[in-house]
Amino acid sequence: MDFVSGYKGVVGRVFGNDNATSNEDSYVERLLDRINNGTKAEDRRMAMVELQSVVAENHSAQLAFGAMGLPVLLSVLKDERDDVEMVRGALETLVSSLTPLNHAKTTKVEVEPSKMNADLLSREVDNISLLLSLLAEDDFYVRYYTLQVLTALLTNSLSRLQESILAIPRGITRLMDMLMDREVIRNEALLLLTYLTREAEEIQKIVVFEGAFEKIFTIMKEEGGSDGGVVVQDCLQLLNNILRNNTSNQTLLRETVGFDPVISLLKLRGVSYSFTQQKTINLLSTLETVNMLIASGPHAETGKDTNSMTNKTALVQRKVLDYLLMLGVESQWAPVAVRCAALHCIGDLIAQHPKNTDELARKVLGEEPQAEPALNSILRIILRTSSMQEFIDADYVFKNFCEKNPDGQKLLSSTLTPQPHSMVHAPSEDDVNMSFGSMLLHGLTMSESDGDLEICARAASILSHLLKDNTQCKEKALKVELGPTPQSMGTPEPLMHRMVKYLAVASSMDSKDGTSNGKPNLYIQEMILKLLIIWLVDCPSAVQCFLDARPHLTYLLELLSNQSATVCTRGLAAVLLGECVLYNKCIETGKDAFGIVDTISQKAGLTSYFLKFDEMQRSFLFSSKKLSEERKPVTRSSGASMVEVEDHENDARMEDERNEEHPILASLFDADFVAIVGSLESNIRDKFVDVYSNPKAKVAVVPAELERKNGESEGDYINRLKSFVEKQCSEIQTGANPQQKTSGSSDRFQVENFRRDLREASQRIEMLKNEKSKLENDVSTYQDLASKMESELKSLSDAYYSLEQAYTQVEKEAKSSKTGGATPYPDIEAIKAQVREESQKESEAELSDLLVCLGQEQSKVERLTARLLELGEDVDKLLEGVGDDIGLPEDDDEDED
Amino acid sequence: MSYDYLFKYIIIGDTGVGKSCLLLQFTDKRFQPVHDLTIGVEFGARMVTIDGKPIKLQIWDTAGQESFRSITRSYYRGAAGALLVYDITRRETFNHLASWLEDARQHANPNMTIMLVGNKCDLAHRRAVSKEEGEQFAKENGLLFLEASARTAQQVEEAFVKTAAKILQKIQEGVFDVSNETSGIKVGYGRPSTAAGGRDGTVASAGGCCS
Ligand SMILES: Nc1nc2c(ncn2[C@@H]2O[C@H](COP(=O)(O)OP(=O)(O)O)[C@@H](O)[C@H]2O)c(=O)[nH]1
Ligand SMILES: [Mg+2]
Repeated sequence: MDFVSGYKGVVGRVFGNDNATSNEDSYVERLLDRINNGTKAEDRRMAMVELQSVVAENHSAQLAFGAMGLPVLLSVLKDERDDVEMVRGALETLVSSLTPLNHAKTTKVEVEPSKMNADLLSREVDNISLLLSLLAEDDFYVRYYTLQVLTALLTNSLSRLQESILAIPRGITRLMDMLMDREVIRNEALLLLTYLTREAEEIQKIVVFEGAFEKIFTIMKEEGGSDGGVVVQDCLQLLNNILRNNTSNQTLLRETVGFDPVISLLKLRGVSYSFTQQKTINLLSTLETVNMLIASGPHAETGKDTNSMTNKTALVQRKVLDYLLMLGVESQWAPVAVRCAALHCIGDLIAQHPKNTDELARKVLGEEPQAEPALNSILRIILRTSSMQEFIDADYVFKNFCEKNPDGQKLLSSTLTPQPHSMVHAPSEDDVNMSFGSMLLHGLTMSESDGDLEICARAASILSHLLKDNTQCKEKALKVELGPTPQSMGTPEPLMHRMVKYLAVASSMDSKDGTSNGKPNLYIQEMILKLLIIWLVDCPSAVQCFLDARPHLTYLLELLSNQSATVCTRGLAAVLLGECVLYNKCIETGKDAFGIVDTISQKAGLTSYFLKFDEMQRSFLFSSKKLSEERKPVTRSSGASMVEVEDHENDARMEDERNEEHPILASLFDADFVAIVGSLESNIRDKFVDVYSNPKAKVAVVPAELERKNGESEGDYINRLKSFVEKQCSEIQTGANPQQKTSGSSDRFQVENFRRDLREASQRIEMLKNEKSKLENDVSTYQDLASKMESELKSLSDAYYSLEQAYTQVEKEAKSSKTGGATPYPDIEAIKAQVREESQKESEAELSDLLVCLGQEQSKVERLTARLLELGEDVDKLLEGVGDDIGLPEDDDEDED
Repeated sequence: MSYDYLFKYIIIGDTGVGKSCLLLQFTDKRFQPVHDLTIGVEFGARMVTIDGKPIKLQIWDTAGQESFRSITRSYYRGAAGALLVYDITRRETFNHLASWLEDARQHANPNMTIMLVGNKCDLAHRRAVSKEEGEQFAKENGLLFLEASARTAQQVEEAFVKTAAKILQKIQEGVFDVSNETSGIKVGYGRPSTAAGGRDGTVASAGGCCS
């Protein structure tokens, strides 16, 4: 609290003119003088020892040392190599001058002398070069302290040191040699190399060229593999540094040493009951290595992807699945963090890799009487685990297993048959011999009785993977009927209806519990809705089944406008409703597409209906930010906490954005599902417009001549209509005009029709208004884009112009040097050609990129224009502003608001 | 996967002479007319058989530009073989050989085997350096020599294999201390004669407790 006096104290110590500081200054100065100018060797050594101890302990001495002391010590290191004791002393003093002092009163205001010293020392490449040369000295302490100095410099000015070391011939080679040195030195070098290789691709490659893989694996083996200590952890960190995003090094590992040494780290020896924290960290780091080799990140270029595919193949060939299944599924003692990471790796290994997917499907775990397919075991984890993260990672396995794998989906869903009634209520321990499908159905329905639908929701997630994009499996699931319940009054109930029932039950539980205790159920509705949405995609019979029970529609409409439901729930309900229109093939009145749209518009109103989509799209779950989240690498500092970290729940970063949504949803609403919802939404919008403009044969299209004319009396109008109808009748009979089937038998009916038309027309206008405002929004976005493009084009042409200028300049210089007598540069023509070629290539590539972009924008604009025209907008008028607005972003801002 | 020896190679020479294309032809047996400019170094590997011995080649393809020289120099010392490449249609790439050689002599292991490769010999009609000149230069500097084409694959295999054969010959003559890794040579695990690894004899009594 006493900040002011603390501040004064610090300033006083550092800058003040009180005696203490000046004493320190002159003391350090005198010592340096003795070292520099002393004649007696013994006295100089004494002075060095004193200097070291004062710099190590005293803040102002450390500060005073910097500019004065460095040159003195460096000259000792350079010129007095033979005096080992002096060299040792100088290095030890350097280490001290670079070590931060833990001052109790340290505040932010203070200059950190160790930082300043590091900065001074690392500024000259020659200093680094000098230090590296000391690594070749015979004396153990000289090498040891030198490594410490270098590590201290690396922690202070990483990139500068990385550059220097790259510029020094054989600099990295020297450091790598230290890995073969005595243990203490080796460990120090290992730490140094983990710093040095951080995000420095070229250094990573050189380190590998110098045999890093072999050396790292040798050390780890000596240290006992994953049972080893912190040295193994350091090795793994170095390994991960040189593999991370480095395709070249990954190739090298695969093609030369192979993946066996990595995989064998995952092997649990004997029956391992104990997982020390260190072992857990080591295993997690190794799993990170595997993950690095196989994960194709969101920004993966195509080249990197073939690399990760090849890695996946190689890893599975070397039996990595067995070890991962042991860690993730079979071992009962593995910490949950390890189990999760192992499951996630399994998921990545089979992602988009049909062969590995089949391999996993073939895996059987356990000994014979108890043996069962690995996939069944993973399903059991999903249904039983108390860890949310474990559920998420196991779910990830199924998601990837089912993706583009219709045969696998068929295999799993072939057993979707309910167990005989007696089994349903059997304790879950008896499920070893259950088929996959039965276990899944059991999970879908078992938790109803406890009033806790969490397990049901998890099972629903798995079922959604099984059904996704697979008509056959959807049909199969539609036929699944569950035993009669009291509510169903003795008749079996379709599985889908049961799911809708749980959806309703979940919402009633939410409202009962209020917000205080409702947390476990926060994601249940969303997950069931996700299942239903995926089920109905492209599946008219699923729509039919859903609509078979009249209350379903009513319930969804209620959910849509239920203020206590989450934004997401309401949005998903809207999507589901939309699907009932989009994939509707019913012919029954009221249940057909038109009937549903009509109901929505009457009960909810179309504007508010479509608002639900927008609100959901704006929510955190659907934002692009969420999609770029990645797992954090394990480091020495984060290692310990990684072990503890289980569920995302205490992740502060996300808290504010998704206060409403459950963390589990962030994982289950992956990019894939977000994309599905996005495309469904636009199809639904189109379909609604379609339904209104094309209400099939049910509603008469009103020809212009049927409108009541100005000043026409009611009687006249009716008479005119009458004759019109008669004419139509005869026309229909002769089949002359099949298009207009107005077949009113009475005037009253006709009028009734008009009323209806009117209502529909006004609904349609409402829709169109919606549509229009959306398009207007789009137009303004494109205006922005266009202006951005234009300015980019301009800067590009500027760049091109300056390139051209540079080129003429070079040409001129070339000419003048040519005319200057003998040709000093025999290859000037080549340089010219190269410059020209390179500059052209570069700018052409950029230009063509830009043109492609512009082309895409253009075609979007064209489509929009066509659409606007369709909607009767005056496009020219709308676009009038476009050209002029460029450079006036304020206008656009207003438009958007 | 197992090999008797592992040799490390580097490929050096001016930008555009076809270094990357030679490597690609050797490792993937294909030619890519528009190859990305190499940044820093790129890696490739392949197995060859010489005198019935399986030999693994690890090859580092370097960037020719001056700005990458300090990086690429780091690869000299640890290489057992080098392919020094010029383009027979661009005389200046031949004229630069002397400076490349000087670089190599300064930073590389003195026993490094260097193969001089006159690339793009498919473009005979645009030849700017005669085969005799190449032979002459190689002879004067104690290099192996051949003309090759990364495009037609002509002599590409030979360029890598003959270098390996020469290194093998030097090993058999006892020129190298193969236990010293800086020579760019490693003895494979398959070889019974030398105990690879564990040369410091300090193998810990690891895993004594577990069965
Ligand atoms: N005709 C022909 N062109 C080649 C040959 N080798 C390389 N090239 C071309 O020469 C250019 C430079 O090749 P590259 O391998 O990138 O050269 P690097 O800079 O030495 O790696 C590319 O356009 C290749 O297509 C060859 O043997 N014959
Ligand atoms: Mg290249």
